[in-house]
Amino acid sequence: MAASPAPRGGRPRAQRPHLRKMERMVVRMQDPDQGVRTRSQRLLITVIPHAVTGSDVVEWLVRKLCISEEEALHLGSLLAQHGYIYPLREPRSLALRPDETPYRFQTPYFWTSTLWPAAELDYAIYLTKKNIQRQGALVTHEKEHYDQLHKKINHTWDLVVMQAREQLRAAKQRRKGDRLVIACQEQTYWLVNRPPPGVPNVLEQGPERGSNNANQVQMSQSLDFYKREIEWSRKALGRTRVKSSICLEAFLTFSHQRGPHDPILAGCLPSNPWVTDDDAYWAMNAPTVAMPTKLRVERWGFSFRELLDDPMGRAHFMDFLQKEFSAENLSFWEACEELRFGGQAQIPTLVDTVYQQFLAPGAAHWVNIDSRTMERTLEGLHQPHRYVLDDAQLHIYMLMKKDSYPRFMKSDMYQGLLAEAVIPLETKRRVFPFMRKPRLSSPSPALPPTSGEPSAAGSAAGGDEES
Amino acid sequence: MAREECKAMLDALNKTTACYHHLVLTVGGSADSQNLREELQKTRQKARELAVTTGARLTVALRNRGLAAEDRAEFERLWVAFSGCLDILEADMQRALALGAAFPLHTPLRPLVRTGVTGDSSRVAARALSARSLSHQAERDFDVSDLKELEREVLQVGEMINDMEMKVNVPRWTVQAQQTAGAELLSSNSMGASSVGAVSVEEPSRSCNPSKALAATLFSAVLLAAVALALSVVKL
Repeated sequence: MAASPAPRGGRPRAQRPHLRKMERMVVRMQDPDQGVRTRSQRLLITVIPHAVTGSDVVEWLVRKLCISEEEALHLGSLLAQHGYIYPLREPRSLALRPDETPYRFQTPYFWTSTLWPAAELDYAIYLTKKNIQRQGALVTHEKEHYDQLHKKINHTWDLVVMQAREQLRAAKQRRKGDRLVIACQEQTYWLVNRPPPGVPNVLEQGPERGSNNANQVQMSQSLDFYKREIEWSRKALGRTRVKSSICLEAFLTFSHQRGPHDPILAGCLPSNPWVTDDDAYWAMNAPTVAMPTKLRVERWGFSFRELLDDPMGRAHFMDFLQKEFSAENLSFWEACEELRFGGQAQIPTLVDTVYQQFLAPGAAHWVNIDSRTMERTLEGLHQPHRYVLDDAQLHIYMLMKKDSYPRFMKSDMYQGLLAEAVIPLETKRRVFPFMRKPRLSSPSPALPPTSGEPSAAGSAAGGDEES
Repeated sequence: MAREECKAMLDALNKTTACYHHLVLTVGGSADSQNLREELQKTRQKARELAVTTGARLTVALRNRGLAAEDRAEFERLWVAFSGCLDILEADMQRALALGAAFPLHTPLRPLVRTGVTGDSSRVAARALSARSLSHQAERDFDVSDLKELEREVLQVGEMINDMEMKVNVPRWTVQAQQTAGAELLSSNSMGASSVGAVSVEEPSRSCNPSKALAATLFSAVLLAAVALALSVVKL
């Protein structure tokens, strides 16, 4: 293929893990004793060996991997979709059927790979070869691709034609059976890499993530490579690992706790605004609202972080702390957050105000921090930066979390809020569906504005209001 | 003429690259063997020699400043085709290295994939080397020693490509290919017809020719019968 695996000056590509697993499985199937049973395919005069039936593949998967037949069928169809086996009777539909339909294995050169992506030049050569063989009768989408490629890589079109002719002549030096097999293999490869319209592309991947840098295949690695490998393995041994049973348990409790609060899983009251065009749900759950909903107040009890993230929760917590005469903790915490996330230019002044208000001995709202943290913070204040108050902030946060927060949860104020909180009623379903409110769409952004900028802005705002 | 020479060498390189591509397709499959690896080695050596000579000739021609405009356009076209050919060759060589390392022949760590290709590829290699036929027997451990050499050669080809790009500057967007879309159909009718017959066995949709032949024979049979009847009526 014309594209090299390490684009010069770019990140090297890697083979995706699921493709590697499929390759390993296909190689296991090739074992002469333990592999899949093969038969011969008879076509008029030629006999081509190494054909497998769909039921053989499924049965081998069930036996070797000890899985159910449904799962084996799913795995087999994945193998077919990715082009590792291809059907012989209907070559265009890459699906596995668990009956007597014959399949054959794809040659390793044409295995689906993100390490060696299919190149435009090769596709052009393939289409030209097909054009020659079919005397110009290509399928519609292939004809479109052909025209596009002709425009796109016009400068190498001479090479495309020359290579296509030569490859066909080279193929003619083979036996007829081999020629057929190779043609089928190439067709399958291009069905997977350039799927016809309507067939999902199995190779779609998101933006490139550099998690796995594969090296070019080298028979003799350098000393540095091995040193790096040893260092990496040593670090990997020392890493703390959490058993997945513990992680999954935590995940289960989280999901169980949050289940009723999820608007998609548990339905949202009064009604889903996207369905009924009624935005009462958003109005009721706005950041600052007079009457918070019951679900929201319950969420404050899940964790301290939830309480602080919600503006209403924070306000009520502040009221509670004022009653308890420890409101300076929360004020200090908020000031530290402002320092962390605020502008760079305001840092010196902000640090000064924080010191004067909270940390100076005899300050108006002196916070209770332990002596070691206080020493460190006061030292750091000489060179103020964004994170200079981090230690102190963490100390105060843990203090509030361990001390004030449980008291808040048990307090009358919170219980009162919980009792008063509103559960919105579900809107009545309309009996006659065709009497629903007509939906008004906002003006199309593609149309030019009727008269100048202000009216365009006005009409956009009007449209938003209407919809 | 330098142009015809370059064109001929480029055609030879093109032929060798196509044959090499065809041989690399079967590595790792059921037709893989020490013989195949040796054929691959011979083919790529020939390809490299051709590449070096063609590259040298083209570089000399393109660095010659006193070249007429249409000559220069012609050479640039040849240059673009040549560098494309080299890219294909380099990629195929890298692929051959990866596949050869993944499917070693001397100890069956991985059994070869049963692809259904069982025949001999010596005729393809013979075509690549422009020889009449190729009969050879590779030693048992050929593929192991070959892989190290292949690795070196891949790097050499990469360096050669870089070198050439440095020496000659041909902007791709100014080159206009001679062949138009569908040019391959014009002069390849004889080749097309024979390979159509080969491919149509697996794809029953391509059934124009047999049905046309059937219609023709039926029509002629009916015509003959009508003529015979008419004659008998006349005789009566």
